[in-house]
Amino acid sequence: MNEQRRDVLGMLAEGKITADEAERLITALERDQPPPMAASPAARPRGKAKYLRVVMEFLEESGEAGRLNVRVPLQLLRAGVQLAALIPPQVLDRANTELDRSGVPLDLKQLKPEQLEALVEHLDETIVEMDMEDGHLRVYCE
Amino acid sequence: MMPQLVTVRVKRPDRHAVRIWVPVLPVVLVLSPVVALALLGGAVACHIYRIDVVRALGTGWRIVCALPGSRFDVEFDRTAVLVAIR
Repeated sequence: MNEQRRDVLGMLAEGKITADEAERLITALERDQPPPMAASPAARPRGKAKYLRVVMEFLEESGEAGRLNVRVPLQLLRAGVQLAALIPPQVLDRANTELDRSGVPLDLKQLKPEQLEALVEHLDETIVEMDMEDGHLRVYCE
Repeated sequence: MMPQLVTVRVKRPDRHAVRIWVPVLPVVLVLSPVVALALLGGAVACHIYRIDVVRALGTGWRIVCALPGSRFDVEFDRTAVLVAIR
């Protein structure tokens, strides 16, 4: 409990103010509190991020502005990673062939769910920022 | 915990914003025959592609349970659409 709130409660106990006035004062104090810095990775303990945020601001050729704001729980990414283990081998073969043809020689069969989970675990330290001529993209965890 | 409420808000220029609250459980109950058919179809597909049905169902349920907290907010040219899952 902070000092100002204690003072208000003290005045209420001494009968200097009514309960309604005390409630109004406490509400005003709460309003004046600075917002928590949840979006700042340095402000929260490591591994405590709960959401992946994608914020994009863009300008169309017609000059109209747009904004995309997506919040995805990291838990959803972890659950999605488990889906990868269910992909049938023949589908992985086909995907590998297509990746190879596109110039990405990546063997998806070598990707283990544990590795993907470790990747998601470490996402909370990641901040991706892109400044483009017609927009701005920011991906981070909070 | 599975999603309880889906909020959809659509704001268009020169019109009042429309906000819809969809309680998930009653809707799932009403659509339960469709859900049962979809599950059956999924089980058949798993069998065809030789995927463990129980594992697939478990993963699907985990994904559904991880949905609360998701939020998709798009604004473009004074039109805004928000979908929030709680």
